Amino acid sequence: MPDGVATAAPAPIVLDAIGKRYETTSGPVQAVDSVSLTVRREEFVSLLGPSGCGKSTVLGMIGGLVTPDAGRILLDGVRCAGPSPDKVALVFQDGGLFPWRTALDNVTFGLELRGMPAARRREIARGLLEPMGLSGFESKYPRELSGGMRQRVAIARALALDTPILLMDEPFGALDEQTRLLMGEWLVGIRRRTRKTVVFVTHSLQEAIALSDRIVVMTARPGRVKDVMDVALPFPRDLNAPEVTELRAKLWEQVREESLKAMGGRP
Amino acid sequence: MGRLGVLGCQAASLAALLVIWEIAVRTGLADPLFVPTPAAVAGALGSTLREALPRLGDTLLKTLAGYALAVGLGVAGGLAIGSRRLAHAVAMPYVVAAYGVPKILVLPWIALICGLGATTAVLTATLFAVFPILLMVAAGTRDVDPTLVTAAVSMGATRGQVSRKVLLPAVLPSVVAGMRVGVVFAMLGVLLAEMFAGTRGMGYLMQRMAMAFRAPDLFAATAVVSVLSIVVVLSLEHLSRRLSRWR
Amino acid sequence: MKVWVWRLGIAVAALGLWEAVAAPLNPLFYVRPTALPGALVAMWQVPELPPLAEHVWLTLREIGAAYLLAVAAGLWLGFLLGLRRTVGRVYEPLLAALYAVPSVVWYPSLMLFFGLGPASKIAFGVLLGFFPIVVSVLAGIRQVPETLVTVARSMGAGPWTVFHKVMLPAMASTMVGGLRAGLALSVVGVLVGEILGSRAGVGYVINYAYGLMMTREYAVLAVLVAAGVLALDLAGALAEARVKRWAG
Repeated sequence: MPDGVATAAPAPIVLDAIGKRYETTSGPVQAVDSVSLTVRREEFVSLLGPSGCGKSTVLGMIGGLVTPDAGRILLDGVRCAGPSPDKVALVFQDGGLFPWRTALDNVTFGLELRGMPAARRREIARGLLEPMGLSGFESKYPRELSGGMRQRVAIARALALDTPILLMDEPFGALDEQTRLLMGEWLVGIRRRTRKTVVFVTHSLQEAIALSDRIVVMTARPGRVKDVMDVALPFPRDLNAPEVTELRAKLWEQVREESLKAMGGRP
Repeated sequence: MGRLGVLGCQAASLAALLVIWEIAVRTGLADPLFVPTPAAVAGALGSTLREALPRLGDTLLKTLAGYALAVGLGVAGGLAIGSRRLAHAVAMPYVVAAYGVPKILVLPWIALICGLGATTAVLTATLFAVFPILLMVAAGTRDVDPTLVTAAVSMGATRGQVSRKVLLPAVLPSVVAGMRVGVVFAMLGVLLAEMFAGTRGMGYLMQRMAMAFRAPDLFAATAVVSVLSIVVVLSLEHLSRRLSRWR
Repeated sequence: MKVWVWRLGIAVAALGLWEAVAAPLNPLFYVRPTALPGALVAMWQVPELPPLAEHVWLTLREIGAAYLLAVAAGLWLGFLLGLRRTVGRVYEPLLAALYAVPSVVWYPSLMLFFGLGPASKIAFGVLLGFFPIVVSVLAGIRQVPETLVTVARSMGAGPWTVFHKVMLPAMASTMVGGLRAGLALSVVGVLVGEILGSRAGVGYVINYAYGLMMTREYAVLAVLVAAGVLALDLAGALAEARVKRWAG
């Protein structure tokens, strides 16, 4: 082996020219077109773009819930062919919590599927809910919890699977601004502690800048990669720093163009 | 007005109704041959209960049998139709049409084939009860939040696990609601069959009392069946509330 | 497109199955669908059956009377319970309790009181039909958005104006659903009443055919009545759609 070249482990996520087409009543629609991306280990990548640009579809493909029509997806060098609950955990926009299960039972769901004994899974779940400040709420049902609490439970449920990759589809989208900001700060802390690779879908520039190592800007439908920007700033990020303002301006320029296209395309 | 006040008003209204009724018959406003006094009805209660008890049991058994069949068919059918889009679109007009046709039209045919016994009553009960159950379960199955299924699949759930751990608990409230409605329809079917073509059961007894102008007995019997039905429905309602705590 | 193909397929398959199953069996009990049109033609001349036309006319009149009374009673009771809050609180639970009783238990008493004539059928039809109407009026009143009433009042509208220019249009789509259901139930009530005990009407003829084991004629009648009821319901659905489009 030549000096200086280490045997690199395969990247956790490789998107190789993936595409997805849907059949609708008004004809075929190309949701995603030839998207390529490599996500590095422990990296936090945001997918940013206007509504309908296919970012959720891309996430669905990484999670093995949607099959690409073109290209392939490699997780740790292995082709993705369906849900991979040992590698990938998802957090959905409205939580997707089971309303008939308590917070604790929601968090243990994935472990239950794996056949883990009850005492052990409850222990793990409690351990996850505690640093989230939900210690007293384990036996509450989702309808008794606030929006922010529900999302934290959803994230705990995903963390319980202990996967190296976390996919999050606008998890804070349904929350009010203050809660969003707080949840963002809290997510940064979680991420540092758990050292996961994260792909995060959002349409908020603020959120993308506050949380990511890299931001992938997507075009309006059909979704392609328009630009990839590095955010080489230390955490915690001061959102009023001049670098941030500059970055936001650059991002907005890109995103604005695509947002207008997305809006113009509507009847 | 608080709960006690409402109960008091209801009791007072019922009492007033009974008094007016008693007076109306006594003063000759209503013919006691057709409208017995409440006192007469109360007096007939004892003997009617003795006469009715075995028949009541008979009716209840048939109701139970028909109900069980209807629940089985309705829940299975509702789950099957509600979970597949094509099946739902194709089958729905037929189900709704069948629901809209007065099912009494089929009763003579059932009686022709199955005779005057319990089979006719049970089948009629099933026929009457299955449609509301099926419709409610189908609607409940369709309304299951697809994100819940996606979340379970993303965590590695097999088809069986999705059915057991997601679909079933999500659909349970609709099943219970359908079952609650179904029990009245099942009893309706049995009584109807007994009145049309029966030799036993409460329906037949009540028909006979009407033909014989045994007004106090008939009113008493009507009261007994009504109370029984209300008790059954209230119990089911209580049960369904306990099972739906999370909603 | 696919859906229609499937629907047609099911209908054809069902009729085919019916024909195949019934053909070899005793025609006294099992009627083949292909025998029905012939029976329809023959029925008008069959001397054993009572004259159909006047019975149908009687049933229609009974249904009409029952429905009109049900609507009147249902609207009156519904508005009484819905607009007068305290009256509603006291009597609505009693009404709900009545809903838990299988309606047919009242019929023997009605027959005893009104006899076997049309009156008992009309009474039963009213009893069944007025329920959904009351329920829909109550539901309709409840779902009128408070803001609409407030807006009208702020412009100086008096209670009668608020009622007929704001509440009624806002309640229209809910109420029309109840009126439709009430019609369906009035029809059922009259039919059940006739089949269980009467001397005239379509139900009586059906019962008559059943009694004489004239299975083919009974089947034709049943199919015709079913078709008639479905047509009536379809008309009701169209009316409901029009009201919904207007009420928004």
